[in-house]
Order: sequence, then C-alpha cells, then structure tokens
Amino acid sequence: MNIIETFNLTKVYNGKTSAVDDLNLVIKKGEIFGLLGPNGAGKTTTIRMLVTLTRPTSGRAVIDGHDLAKEARAIRQIIGYSSQQAGVDDNATGREYLGLFGNYYHLDGQTIKRRIDEVLELMELEDAADRLVSTYSGGMRKRLEIATALINKPKILILDEPTLGLDVQTRLRIWDYIREINKEDTTILLTTHYLEETDKLCDRVAIIDHGKIVALGTPDELKGEISGDAVTLTLPLQDPDQHAKTIERAKQLLSSQTFVRDVVARDDGLNVYVDEGSSAVPQILRVLEEADVKAEGITLTRPSLDDVFVKYTGRTLREEKGAARGALGGVRPRGGR
Amino acid sequence: MPFVRDTLTSLTRLLRTFTRSPFYAFVYLVQPLIWLLLFTQIFKSVTMLPDFPTSSYLQFFAPGLIVTLAVFNSNFTGFALLNDINFGVLEKVLVTPVNRYSLILGTVLYVAVTGVLQVAVVLIISFALGATLVTGVGGILITIVIVSLLGIGLTSLLGALALRAKRVEPLIFVSNLITLPLIFLSSALIPASLTPDWVQTAMKFNPVNYAVLAVRPLFLTGYDWNAIGVGLVILGAWAAAGIIIAEYAFRRFGD
Repeated sequence: MNIIETFNLTKVYNGKTSAVDDLNLVIKKGEIFGLLGPNGAGKTTTIRMLVTLTRPTSGRAVIDGHDLAKEARAIRQIIGYSSQQAGVDDNATGREYLGLFGNYYHLDGQTIKRRIDEVLELMELEDAADRLVSTYSGGMRKRLEIATALINKPKILILDEPTLGLDVQTRLRIWDYIREINKEDTTILLTTHYLEETDKLCDRVAIIDHGKIVALGTPDELKGEISGDAVTLTLPLQDPDQHAKTIERAKQLLSSQTFVRDVVARDDGLNVYVDEGSSAVPQILRVLEEADVKAEGITLTRPSLDDVFVKYTGRTLREEKGAARGALGGVRPRGGR
Repeated sequence: MPFVRDTLTSLTRLLRTFTRSPFYAFVYLVQPLIWLLLFTQIFKSVTMLPDFPTSSYLQFFAPGLIVTLAVFNSNFTGFALLNDINFGVLEKVLVTPVNRYSLILGTVLYVAVTGVLQVAVVLIISFALGATLVTGVGGILITIVIVSLLGIGLTSLLGALALRAKRVEPLIFVSNLITLPLIFLSSALIPASLTPDWVQTAMKFNPVNYAVLAVRPLFLTGYDWNAIGVGLVILGAWAAAGIIIAEYAFRRFGD
C-alpha cells in the first residue's frame, strides 16, 4: 500500500528556478525511505511541500488518502515533522514543550500525559524532562525536537536531515530511535546527505539532484548497478582549464581500455569501474603514465552508494561538505557531466 | 472547541515566557519609571506655554506615556515572534493542525494582557507622583481597550514583517525607523496646537495620535465621546487590517 504518492510535484521559486521538478515519488506504508542528495537538490523543498509548509507550484500529492491541496488539516493530524533546525523553546521545560504540541494536536489531557511519558522514554529524556530547555545539550535538543514530532503518534514521520551536525555517537542513537519508531508501524521519510545513513537505515532510497529523481531502489539494488570494483583516482590540481582537460583526456584514454567497464569524471579526478580491481590498478597506472598523466591518489573499493551518486550526478557527496575547497581551487563545485 | 483551545494554548505559552524572563519584568517596571522621571523633568517648563491644557506635565504626559509604551511593547512582541521563526519553533507549530487565527489571537490577547499590566504600572507610578484620572474606573477600561487595539494592529504588522523577512535586520530597521516618528508625530508628548502645521497634518494619518486623543481627556477633563468614538473606529480598523495581513503572512510563511 502506498502511503505517500506525488504526481509531477513541482516547486518553482521566483518564477525561474525549479527546486523540485515534476517529481513522482511513491512511498510504501511501513518503510524507511531516504531522499539522498547534495545541498540544493530539492530534498527539503520536497518534504516542506509534503508537510504542508510550502505550497506546490504545480502537481499534486496524496498522503494516506488525503489530497495535499484540499485536506491539509487531515494530513497535519497524521504526520510528524522534524525540521533541520533543532526547533525548541528555551523558555519551556521539555515536558511543557511537548505539552504545547499535544495541545496543538488536540489530544485529550490523559493522552497528552501518557504520550509525553512515552516519547520522553523513547528519546531517553526522562531525567531532563522538567528542566528548562536552555540547559539542554545539542543532542538533547535534537532528541526533544524529534520527540515533539512523535507526540501525535504519527502514521508518517518526516525527518529533514535528522543527524546533521551531530556527533557520531548521537547519530548512532538517533538511528536506533528511528528504527524503533519504524517498528511501531510508522512510515518514515527522511532526507540526508550522509550515504552511510541511507545505507544503514533505509529500505529504499531515491537519489535526487536538481529537483529530479535520478536513481531509485534499495541500497543494495543501487550498489548492484555498479558491478565489479571501483578505482578512485585523484589527479593533482592544476589551473582549472588544464585540470578539466586532463581529466577528460584520462577519461577518454581509460574508456577505450578493454578491462574498463565504465569511467565517471569527478571534479578532482575519475572513478573507474572494473571487473577485477587488483589487476586493473597497475594497468590503469601504466595507461596514465604513457599519456603523461600523474595520479595523486588511487584507492580501490567495493562500489558504495557514493559511486552510485557519482555515476548519476558527476560529483561525490563528500565534496559537498567542502564545497569551499572546490571554489578556492578554481574547480567548479557544480561541475558534473 | 479547538479554536478556543488553540488560542488559550498560544496565550499561555507567551505568558509563561513572560513570567520566566526577568528582563521583561525589568523593562515593564523600570521603563515607565525612567520615562516619567525624565520627561516630567525635561518638559517641565512646557506647561508655561500659552494654550497648554494643564499646569502639570505629569498629568498631561501620563496618558501619552501609556500609549507610547504600547508602541514599544508591540516591538517586543514582534521580536519574540522572530525568535520562534529563527529557532524553527514556528515551523513546527505550523505543521500541526492548530488554527492559524488562534495563533494570531493568542498573540493579540497577550499584547492586551501585557498592555493592561503596563497601564497599571504607569497609573500606579503616576498616581504616586500626584497625577489624577478624572474619569476613574470607566476611564481606565476605555484606556485599556484603546491601547490594546493600537498594540494589536502594530504587533500584527510587525509580526507580518517578521514572517516575511525571517531575519532580524529588517525588523530592527523598520522598528527603529517608525517608533520615534509614530510617537513624536502624535500629541503624546506635546499638544498638537503647539506643533507646526505639517506635523498636525501628519498626525491625522497616525493611529498613535488617535489613541492619545481618545485617552488624554479621560485623565484631564472627562469623557470625550467624540474622540473615543473616532478612536475606536480608526484603531478597530487598524487592528483588523493588522490581523488580516498577519494571517496572510502566516499562510504564505512556508513559500
């Protein structure tokens, strides 16, 4: 059964930039679905439309049988939304803040009390419940923020970058909470630009770029699209024009080799996909040397979601975090193929 | 009644924040005191001018100050909303089924409640310093209604601006830009008859002035039903316009 379905969902800002472009998305009841993409890919805009915060420019969506355009109120009642910011009120205690949302969801007094205790327990915040939020740590704020999204026992929990900027330990805990919530029959839609997050957590993933879905499937299916091994080459940075030309030349050269299945150019090098990595590496190096192309780094890996991402978008997610590096180095951060 | 419940929930939250912030209490108590002391000293000799309606500047200024503080109070509330926007609280609230008008009405009631508080503070200090209110309790009630309508309109408009801008700078800029002209282009500090013609013309377009005109006679001479009627109509329209614009800003907030 499909719990979220979008039909050509589109959001255009200022009449020109399409943040979300004819998006057709199907999310099944009970799954953990991940929207993976770089900053500005349209992930947040997509879910802001689904949680009724932003109105679509065109297209429509049906959520648990309710039409997004006509039944916003019914949709609000059954979804929980955790935003990118840890939106909490410093001047309230954790319990009071949860109570605020219980009231806004129009739950009765008894239910509010019970749900507050339940979500506090789930998020391991019982001890801090009656302290002012201003005394909370960053991780606690995020947990309280997620707790408010659960107060109405939502059928669908929508999380925008749930672990953005959190330390590794907190991130692992949040993953556990999300799995726990999912077990209780809650469908989960989350956005992330952490590959690990989708890999470890999601049943299905859509890679989204420039407002469009470029790949869709289970993490394993997506990785399976790239067979063999991945050889990641980094070429030393020269002046931008020269650099791009060198990469292009190396790509042509390697593509013509019989042992190479596929070559994808990145801003700072190449991903070469081969059947047998250990024998391919020396061959690749030899080909490059003959063409007088120096490789700065070379790594051999099993294909990861990052490779899938590179294949569809021409850039890695890791680069996104250090977009400034690309800019400083004169390499176009939005290169791509 | 979800509407009533939502409104009370919003109001309760704002009042709780108010009671928890010592800074607010400080501002609410000390600010009127500073204004009263400073202005009654600085403008002492203004009362000697011909046509000045009373021999005590305090008596003249107390109602003006009540209206002035309503303007300042509205600014605070606009900034409080900005805080909610910045920390993402408002966004979370807007994805709940809460009634949007309730959020506005809750804020409006908050402005009214804190307005009453401020009227009380100014009255107590003024009475202690020797001012009188010739119309008594009736005058106080009318003052509260007038001042609340003024505050509701201004808060709603600043709130709408906060919702559109989502940043603190435009709000600081606008509130700095308009606050002093709103106060000085009214008869809050000085009778209109003592100001140049262009100022008197400008006063006709200033809602703050209509509040002062309705409230001041209650302190000095008695009920001026004409001024009260005009004040209620104009400030009622002002408040209604503010609420309508704020509701529109709420609806467009996520776009």
